[in-house]
Amino acid sequence: MNGSFVSLLSIALGAILVGNVVFTQLLGAGPFLGSSGSMGTAVRMGTVVTLVMGLTSAVCWPINEYVLGPNGLKYIESAVFFLTAVFLVQLLDVLVQKLLPGRKPLVGGRLPLAANCAVLGVVFQNVQNGSGFLQSLTYAVAGGLGFLMAVVLFAGVRERIEFAECPKSFEGAPIAFVAAGLLTLCFAGFSSLNVFG
Amino acid sequence: MKEYADLKLTVASSPHVGSPVGTRALMMDVLVALTPALCMAVFFFGPRALALTAVSVVGCEIFEALYRILLKKPVSGGDLSAAVTGVLLAFVCPVTIPYWTILIGDFFAIVVVKQLFGGLGKNFLNPALAGRAFLALCYLPEMTVWVRPGTKFWLGLTASAADAVSAATPMADLHNGLLPWLGTSGVRLHDMFYGNVGGCMGEVSALALLFGGGYLILRGVIHPRIPTTYLGTVALLAFLFPRVGSAEDWMLAQLLSGGLMLGAFFMATDYVTSPCTPWGEVLFGVGCGLLTVFLRSFGGSAEGVSYAILLMNACVPLLEKYTQPKRYGASRGWQRKARKEGEHHGKG
Amino acid sequence: MNVGKQIEEGLLTKNPVAVQLLGLCTALAVTTSLLNGLGMGLCVLVVLTLSNGLLSALGPYLPERIHMVSAVVVTASLGGVADLIVQAFFPDLAGNLGLFLPLMAVTCVLLSGAGVYAYENGVASAVLEGLCRGLGYTLVLVLVGVIRELLGKGSFGEGLLNSGRGFQVFPAQFAAGGLVHPVGGFLVLACVIAAVQGFLARPKKAARRKETVRR
Repeated sequence: MNGSFVSLLSIALGAILVGNVVFTQLLGAGPFLGSSGSMGTAVRMGTVVTLVMGLTSAVCWPINEYVLGPNGLKYIESAVFFLTAVFLVQLLDVLVQKLLPGRKPLVGGRLPLAANCAVLGVVFQNVQNGSGFLQSLTYAVAGGLGFLMAVVLFAGVRERIEFAECPKSFEGAPIAFVAAGLLTLCFAGFSSLNVFG
Repeated sequence: MKEYADLKLTVASSPHVGSPVGTRALMMDVLVALTPALCMAVFFFGPRALALTAVSVVGCEIFEALYRILLKKPVSGGDLSAAVTGVLLAFVCPVTIPYWTILIGDFFAIVVVKQLFGGLGKNFLNPALAGRAFLALCYLPEMTVWVRPGTKFWLGLTASAADAVSAATPMADLHNGLLPWLGTSGVRLHDMFYGNVGGCMGEVSALALLFGGGYLILRGVIHPRIPTTYLGTVALLAFLFPRVGSAEDWMLAQLLSGGLMLGAFFMATDYVTSPCTPWGEVLFGVGCGLLTVFLRSFGGSAEGVSYAILLMNACVPLLEKYTQPKRYGASRGWQRKARKEGEHHGKG
Repeated sequence: MNVGKQIEEGLLTKNPVAVQLLGLCTALAVTTSLLNGLGMGLCVLVVLTLSNGLLSALGPYLPERIHMVSAVVVTASLGGVADLIVQAFFPDLAGNLGLFLPLMAVTCVLLSGAGVYAYENGVASAVLEGLCRGLGYTLVLVLVGVIRELLGKGSFGEGLLNSGRGFQVFPAQFAAGGLVHPVGGFLVLACVIAAVQGFLARPKKAARRKETVRR
């Protein structure tokens, strides 16, 4: 795989449509459900996840390539990446609060933990695929954009199904999950998409 | 919600102006408009097409009634909306599909997609299309048997393999970058127009569907905005980017093949799952067209109409939100503020 | 220390997945069969119990500031060890779980609330808490896994029961394969959560009915 523009574009399209982080890989279901209550939260969460995903991948790639790999430390990679992600998210939170004083924190305090399944999943995939730096970064940012798209679509749908008269026991999370399942069904149309031959 | 149950409220589609036209009358018109396509299906594929449609209609009505009885809700069978779902789901399945398969599709469409969210007017996906997508996910082999038209299927529980002489569909040819009359299906343009081609039983005849669509438009049941923008977008893109042959040939072949006509007139125009704002409808139609061409060109399967409409269904809340017509006397800024406030109310 | 109450909370009233909606990623993704659900559930159960015990024992010696970080370090390390053990001894299971095996640590940190309970309670109580919550998590995963495998393949217990062949309940031809697809994950988990919600709401409803009768 070379770093040409077309191959990067194909990675991005694959990460957004075919292998969408939420709908196909089922990563980040927690923040997906938690932040889709209103359009504003959804957009904010989607943006932050995109940022964190790109940042974490950009940092974890050299760690894996130059520290863990050559020293035969592959077996602790999951712990190392996890800690890196937690650290970066905390840093981002602090930075935002320092640089934009008076602004509410981007997302509630749960983000450091909650978003990690999606973020780390993408990092692990990049390592498992042995992707180069540019590919990893593209995949991560596109994965974040895929999350953003999914969560914005879902927020729209949830605004609509707020008036659903579903059975009592389905109120709340279950009916939202059914809706998410139906959205996943729509996205099944993109499976085995082949744009660039 | 007890107090609401006692009120005698008529549940009708979105224009809530006092009018004698209720859901039942509208759905009756849709059923009438679907009749020519049903006749063509029976003509080309035999009585099994009729039997499958009947089973599907009865299945949908029974699932709807059962669900509402079990949940102690008023039974709404009289509005015929489940019957329309049943017919449409049967129309997007091949004639060889076993009866039990279509009943599973009915169950998914009526119970999971529609009634679980509260019934008519509350679902966000077109039930028939979602049912089809679910069947395609679960029973792909059964859903992709394309038989030569003119093979008469009787009422057998399963269509025997000997009867099912599989035929290449025009859609598959187009997917492979061939014009149907030059490709493996060898179907000529006028055959595609009449419906003398392999495919899902209700979608083959463009002529019958145009008749039905025209009837709906003349009766004022649907507005031509969505079908024209949808078909227009597909036509324009096919005309501008033909893969082989002349631009007109490619455009006509794209327009007349697959489920496009059925989708544009009967599925995309579903009141519940299409936008209620004029500009929303235009964007919806254009979006359906773009996605259809995208999926037909690059998708894993040959046809993309059903997924294109489903994906646009999912975008409807966003389309409606951002295409609200300006209220008389209100400024843009005020409206933006109102929308934001509404969001906060929604959150609380 | 109220053992009965802790068990009830972990399994039902405060079930980490069905009620608190934690660890949803794994609950959706790995539950394609009984084997995968049970395997993931047991891994989490063990890691959660050990990390809770360890954190509770370490708690008094750690400054409050680094509580969260140390919880992450401990859980992530234990998760890494479990990951390696599964890869070494159950390669098939490791292959099925794939990406979600290394993500187990994240799930455990979420389930334990970054060790909040463990730091505030004694070792025995913390271990029991981890055990109960792990059991609750396993219960939901097994339930979802069995339903998806049964309806999606017509069989259950493949790779685990009946010398690895599983039990074929109805012909695979009729099975709705879509339930093994991510779509089925969302739908089946929704039904399980709804069932739990319905079950938890039931006694209250009975009480309300009694009240109205009294009136």
